[in-house]
Amino acid sequence: MFSLLPVPLYALSVFLRPLLYAAFGLQAVYLAIRGFETGRMPIVGVHDTLSLLSASLVAFSFPLLKAVGRRRDFFVMLSLTAAMFSLFAFFSKPHAGPLPPVLKTYWFELHVVLSFFSYALFGLGAILGVCYLRAPGDSQGLLGAQYRSLLVGYGFFSLSMVFGGIWAYLAWGTYWVWTPKEIWTTLLWLFYGLYLHARLMGKWAGRPSAALGAAGFLVVLFTYLGVGLLMKSSHAF
Amino acid sequence: MLNKKNLFGFLFSLKTAFWLLCALIAVLLCGAVLMPLNEEYEGMGSAALFDWLGEARGSLTWWLWGAMALLAALTANTLFCSVESLIKKMERKKWLLVVSPQMMHAGFLFILLGHLASSLGGMKGYATAFEGSALRLPSGTVLKINSIKIDVDERGFIGDMRADVEFLKDGTALKAGQIAPNRPSFHEGYGVYLKDARTYPARSVLIEVSREPGAVWALVGAVLFSAGTVLLVALRMGQEA
Repeated sequence: MFSLLPVPLYALSVFLRPLLYAAFGLQAVYLAIRGFETGRMPIVGVHDTLSLLSASLVAFSFPLLKAVGRRRDFFVMLSLTAAMFSLFAFFSKPHAGPLPPVLKTYWFELHVVLSFFSYALFGLGAILGVCYLRAPGDSQGLLGAQYRSLLVGYGFFSLSMVFGGIWAYLAWGTYWVWTPKEIWTTLLWLFYGLYLHARLMGKWAGRPSAALGAAGFLVVLFTYLGVGLLMKSSHAF
Repeated sequence: MLNKKNLFGFLFSLKTAFWLLCALIAVLLCGAVLMPLNEEYEGMGSAALFDWLGEARGSLTWWLWGAMALLAALTANTLFCSVESLIKKMERKKWLLVVSPQMMHAGFLFILLGHLASSLGGMKGYATAFEGSALRLPSGTVLKINSIKIDVDERGFIGDMRADVEFLKDGTALKAGQIAPNRPSFHEGYGVYLKDARTYPARSVLIEVSREPGAVWALVGAVLFSAGTVLLVALRMGQEA
């Protein structure tokens, strides 16, 4: 039940901002307890990773607060997204069994943690993009914050792919496996690569690239949840 | 008419990179949709890509050929754009900011080179082995499984597994070592992996032997790309702060 506590707090933080930080604190404590109980990092299965994604989303918003100012739409979207991920996490069964031997490696931990940090940053990029698109005239700071969020997210995501490749080479004898999960991951990487190039092109700078950066999160959601639920994946253990 | 100037203009253009990326995303999206619909794609992982492409039907492979053609064009574009950018901007004071994206581009090209090498010369094979049994590797070396250890917890889950192995040639031991999940042993370009273990009816292991000639190039590319990314992020964050 502890994992449910952040949900109403995140939802109510739409009206009372300090609740956002209280919910984040509770979720961080929950993840720490789960890590302590299972004797490993809480990064296995949908329950753990959605909780991590929700907490990361809020954690990475802290350095952006200066650029965001008092924009209510940003905090509404952030709170509701964190509440939604936390709610889905609550309804997902936590992974309880021992880890398969192939998952007992730092490469796996680095791969997963960096993936979800990048997903959180891509989520923030989407929220910032939507905020900018709602009021582009007076929001150059938002565009810069979206770029910073997506650039750091892209860096984390690239490193996550590198660590995943090293792990796959040590575990399966190849750094690349031909499954839909890998294709979608590559699509995601190329999509944000496209965003980084688009914002350097005159016609695509501003609103179009902000929209592109926001749309990327749909690819994130499908790569993370859609592929796992609908297709055979090299990431099912 | 496409003259030399137009051709170079096309190759140097960021716009070309943008549209090539769009086309590549569209083609890979087709592949991502098609793959789960056809079981024949499951054979892709067990052979080098070009061997599989030679055998598979065109209706399955068109998007892969398309992706390769686009990647070839993107490679040319990346090379030209990077060289042009370095020549034009090296005079600037903040040269690290000029170099870091080009390190990422170079990393990307090395990763593509790695994929190409593995797609041409990669191989993979599986065998079940028992304690004391021997397998002949494609290089002619014999792999002997000296002992198998499997730790099973009280609930019946395998907690750990490992096998002591020895590489032999003409009866002479060349190398001895232990393999376990995430801890392969390498010899003469081949990697020997422990994939699975069984305790019943007799202690046995599933061994994978693979050769991935592009792995080194991909690693070089990954290091370059990562270094370029970290450098670019650090410089950009510093600028914005």
